[in-house]
Amino acid sequence: MTATNRTGRVYDRGYRPYDGELGGRSAARLALFRASVRRALGIRRSWRQKLFPWVLLAIATVPAIVNVGVAYLTRSRFTDTIEIITYREYVGVSTALLVFVGLTAPDVVCPDRRNRVLPLLFSRPLTGSDYVAAKVGAVAAIVFAFGLFPQVVLFVGQMLVSDAAIEYLTDNAAVLWQVPLAVAMLALYYASLAVAISSFATRRIVAAAALLIILLVSSITAAVLTEGRSTGTGWAAINLLNNPLQIRDLIFEGQILPESDLSGVAGGGALAVVVYVVVVGTSIGTLLWRYRWVET
Amino acid sequence: MLAARALSKSYGAVRAIEEFTASLPTGVTGLVGANGAGKTTLFKIMLGLLKPDSGTVVIDGIDVSEDPIAVRSILGYMPEHDCLPTDQSAADVVATLGEIAGLPARVARQRASDILDLVGLDEARFRPIEGFSTGMRQRAKLAQALVADPKLVLLDEPTAGLDPQGRHEMLELVRRLGTFGISVIMATHLLDDVQTICDHVVMLDAGRLVASGRTQDLLHTTGVVRVDVAGRGQELLAALPGRDAALLADGTVEVSVASDDEMDAIVAAVGDAGLPLHGLTSQRSSLDDVFLAGNGTGGTA
Repeated sequence: MTATNRTGRVYDRGYRPYDGELGGRSAARLALFRASVRRALGIRRSWRQKLFPWVLLAIATVPAIVNVGVAYLTRSRFTDTIEIITYREYVGVSTALLVFVGLTAPDVVCPDRRNRVLPLLFSRPLTGSDYVAAKVGAVAAIVFAFGLFPQVVLFVGQMLVSDAAIEYLTDNAAVLWQVPLAVAMLALYYASLAVAISSFATRRIVAAAALLIILLVSSITAAVLTEGRSTGTGWAAINLLNNPLQIRDLIFEGQILPESDLSGVAGGGALAVVVYVVVVGTSIGTLLWRYRWVET
Repeated sequence: MLAARALSKSYGAVRAIEEFTASLPTGVTGLVGANGAGKTTLFKIMLGLLKPDSGTVVIDGIDVSEDPIAVRSILGYMPEHDCLPTDQSAADVVATLGEIAGLPARVARQRASDILDLVGLDEARFRPIEGFSTGMRQRAKLAQALVADPKLVLLDEPTAGLDPQGRHEMLELVRRLGTFGISVIMATHLLDDVQTICDHVVMLDAGRLVASGRTQDLLHTTGVVRVDVAGRGQELLAALPGRDAALLADGTVEVSVASDDEMDAIVAAVGDAGLPLHGLTSQRSSLDDVFLAGNGTGGTA
């Protein structure tokens, strides 16, 4: 074969240096956050891993769709907007996201330990606190989005089917900050607790079970300690399952509601806030301690 | 490229690194030592993941203890153990780790593709890593270390678990890194690997520096030549009266020589005795000899 009749040639493409700028810690943190969100949502993973989060989001949105649908169908019969579920109650429905957190948080943390990926991550411009921020942030962001989206559907839907959209908006303006704040508090609570527990496990199922057991044991313990008392007792505050709902009530109503276990307890609201801060603070502190070995 | 000064690190009563001082130039350097010699500890100190009890490491002008983040920005690291998420494709893993190293997302995906091509995983890059052979995993680990275009890569036992063909290919890849302008420190306990591709050698034994220098400088001639006369070594011994010579089991003869002129005299003696000269090899010390001499267990260096 001569040089002139060659129809193809194999090239060794060799190695091309990168001459652009590299991001620092913030870029590393953001990249790990994005990778964790992608993993939690099943993006670039098999359809089975995609199915669960999106089905859960659809289920969480059903009450909003039903509420708006009923309001639309009955709009000519009732002057007031039909409200099957309130915005405050809907935050309570978001506690169903606990199941999602119980499975997602271990999935974004445990494989890093089981597959021994941490040395690879920390050989990059990333510290232990960056890792904690990215992982807790990713889980919290998804829980926040999944908790807020149905509320947005409910709000926008109700506004559109009401006779006076602007009036509905002004009448319900308070929920525009109450809902995001309550959902954000819930998301941070679940995410920090679940990621902290997951950081001790290499197997996802173990971490998920540990999270649910801790929450259920605290709930049962609180029930046993408050059993048969005619007046409220501070022991009700150790119910970690209920705490985000008590915080929600403080955000929406400014007080602990009568149906709450903390009702009648002097300083019950403050106690709920203290428990919230202790749980989130301890969880974050535990995580920072777990990954302190890369804080140089 | 790297300068370590009086570096020490202990784990309780165990001294992992003891007063380690060495200066490593650019190029491919072999960090040699038995298992437990302190190679991985040294890597962790270089990465800023472990604080030394005393001493300093400066990489490309950056003191690791003062700015570990800046150092990690110019380093790539390939651990010895399995460390890749098995349920993701090699392309995803390498691109994600490239992003975490600071590459823009689109650049990271492009470079992941290029680097996986370079290490020979072009067709397998979209397959989950759980289906990879040991050799393919080693290549994927090397790819993630290279994706962000490091100035220096730390390779911890890159040929571990590879068959002879895979080992040869991995060593060829590592050798090529030097030609791309990437400096390499390759930790290994396989002296042959180092002798094959490394420009420089650092030898560790129980955390102590045994020897350090250019490979060629360490592999000096021993002043002994081996003569192959087709199994007629006994006749050659008779033809070399008065010389320091010994017959070996394979029929060759080792003769001590002081100069090139003496080698000419040996060739002449073979001819005078009517013996066939099948080979005349000047014996050089091996890295094994250097290591054994350095750690006090014998050797000829």
